[in-house]
Amino acid sequence: MADLVWASMGELARLVATKAASPVEVVQAHLDRIAALDGTLKSYITVMGDSAREAAKAAEAAVMAREAIGPLHGVPVGLKDLYCTKGVKTTGGSRILGDWVPAEDATVVTRLASAGSIMLGKLNMHEFAYGPEGLNMHYGTPWNPWDPATHRICGGSSSGSGAAVAAGLCPGALGSDTGGSIRIPSSLCGLTGIKPTYGRVSRAGALPLAWSLDHVGPMCRSAADCALMLGAMAGYDPRDPSTSVLPVPDYAAALTGQVKGLRIGLLRQFFLETAGAPQRHAVEQAVKTLEGLGASVRDVTLEQMKYAAGVVAAVISVEAYAYHEAWLKTRGAEYGPDVRQRLLVGAFVSGADYLKGQRVRRLLRDEVDQVLGGVDVLIAPTVPIEATEVGAREVDVNGRREPVRPSLIRYTRPFNASGHPAASVPCGFTADGLPIGMQVIGRSFDEATVLRVADAYQRVTDWHTRRPPLGA
Amino acid sequence: MTPSSPAPPFTTDTLRALAQAQGLTLSEPDLEGLLPLVQASRAVLGELAAAPLDDVEPTSLYRML
Repeated sequence: MADLVWASMGELARLVATKAASPVEVVQAHLDRIAALDGTLKSYITVMGDSAREAAKAAEAAVMAREAIGPLHGVPVGLKDLYCTKGVKTTGGSRILGDWVPAEDATVVTRLASAGSIMLGKLNMHEFAYGPEGLNMHYGTPWNPWDPATHRICGGSSSGSGAAVAAGLCPGALGSDTGGSIRIPSSLCGLTGIKPTYGRVSRAGALPLAWSLDHVGPMCRSAADCALMLGAMAGYDPRDPSTSVLPVPDYAAALTGQVKGLRIGLLRQFFLETAGAPQRHAVEQAVKTLEGLGASVRDVTLEQMKYAAGVVAAVISVEAYAYHEAWLKTRGAEYGPDVRQRLLVGAFVSGADYLKGQRVRRLLRDEVDQVLGGVDVLIAPTVPIEATEVGAREVDVNGRREPVRPSLIRYTRPFNASGHPAASVPCGFTADGLPIGMQVIGRSFDEATVLRVADAYQRVTDWHTRRPPLGA
Repeated sequence: MTPSSPAPPFTTDTLRALAQAQGLTLSEPDLEGLLPLVQASRAVLGELAAAPLDDVEPTSLYRML
């Protein structure tokens, strides 16, 4: 069964379609591994064992009856616990919604099911997605599988998604990303994850953190699997008026392995220059690898990035407070203290400051568009640091002591503000064996090029194929 | 107050008054815990004042694409 839990989503779909593996055994292999490991990892809040086994039997029957099947037929997937699931509790990682059972599925859940995916369960997360470490006092903080000896953060807020996919407890998962919550745990857990363009994937049925910054996307073990999963999820949704009517390309077909002639803009100032030495070295080596494949590289600068922290602070604090205001007034004691405090900050930000943030945000977006007029993708580290121990508030970066939380989101949040697609791709390990991620940023609605670059890199490197030291 | 007057520093009294005006009941430990976070937030928001906004309009939530 070990091979099944490490097979890619594409491989599993092929095995099922060709009757080389039954969806029932695929699902059971993952449920067995969850039972064996998740007492420590704490990646799942709810395991949907019975419904997953039933769905697997139905998927097997469909194959045997030679019915038309979707691209993810019989392939298990995990869902961050902020996606509504009909008849299954959806907690948002909170006590406040600890017993809430939605009446309908989020659009992305419906679409993944239509593609044939089988829902394994609901994944742990930072409470209400408001934290880049992935901590959770209500359900336990997920354990980064790359260090079995020390309880390190997975990164957040999609920490359960990061732990589960990295540990083989599901082959792919839904994350969500408001300031980096797909890319940060992907980086710290050695995964490939993509935050698509704002408007590419429906947010309908996803509990919001900040409506205008929230992005829905996949976290997998390869760019090819992200392409498969994103293709099943993307596209216009009348339930989410921010979704685009632009056609969705065939992302899997875009993975040609070719980057010859591709123009890469390397974000050195503000990004690479301030990263820790292992992260900087790994990204520089990755860029050389892409050069070796025929891409050209030049340094580029985003001058407006100095405002990114202020923009995201203004927007996220006010939008998050607006969503939580009623609960903060009536059920404040049910929040974790850190999340409650941060939510309350939004009560003291003025409407004028919020709109100033939205105005400066336009400068950021326009500048990224302008720079991407001269290159095809941008590359930067995903995070400047390695996965820290749970509870650490500061970290050493090249001899400087820096606070963990702002360090984690420094390189990712600008692209939530700008809305551009951005992926994190494994590109190395620290001396302690902890994963390092490279960020690839593309033009609006050009996820295909971002995934093509990531996939081409993964065809000639093996960082994404390494497994955490958890035993079989 | 002239337009160039610096904003007065936030204190727990300021927070208490603003919270009460919004119907938020916060204890003294709440206010003391919040104060440094609000001050940090105001500092980072203050950096936006240097942005060359001129006639830049806010980003709209919904892109019509």
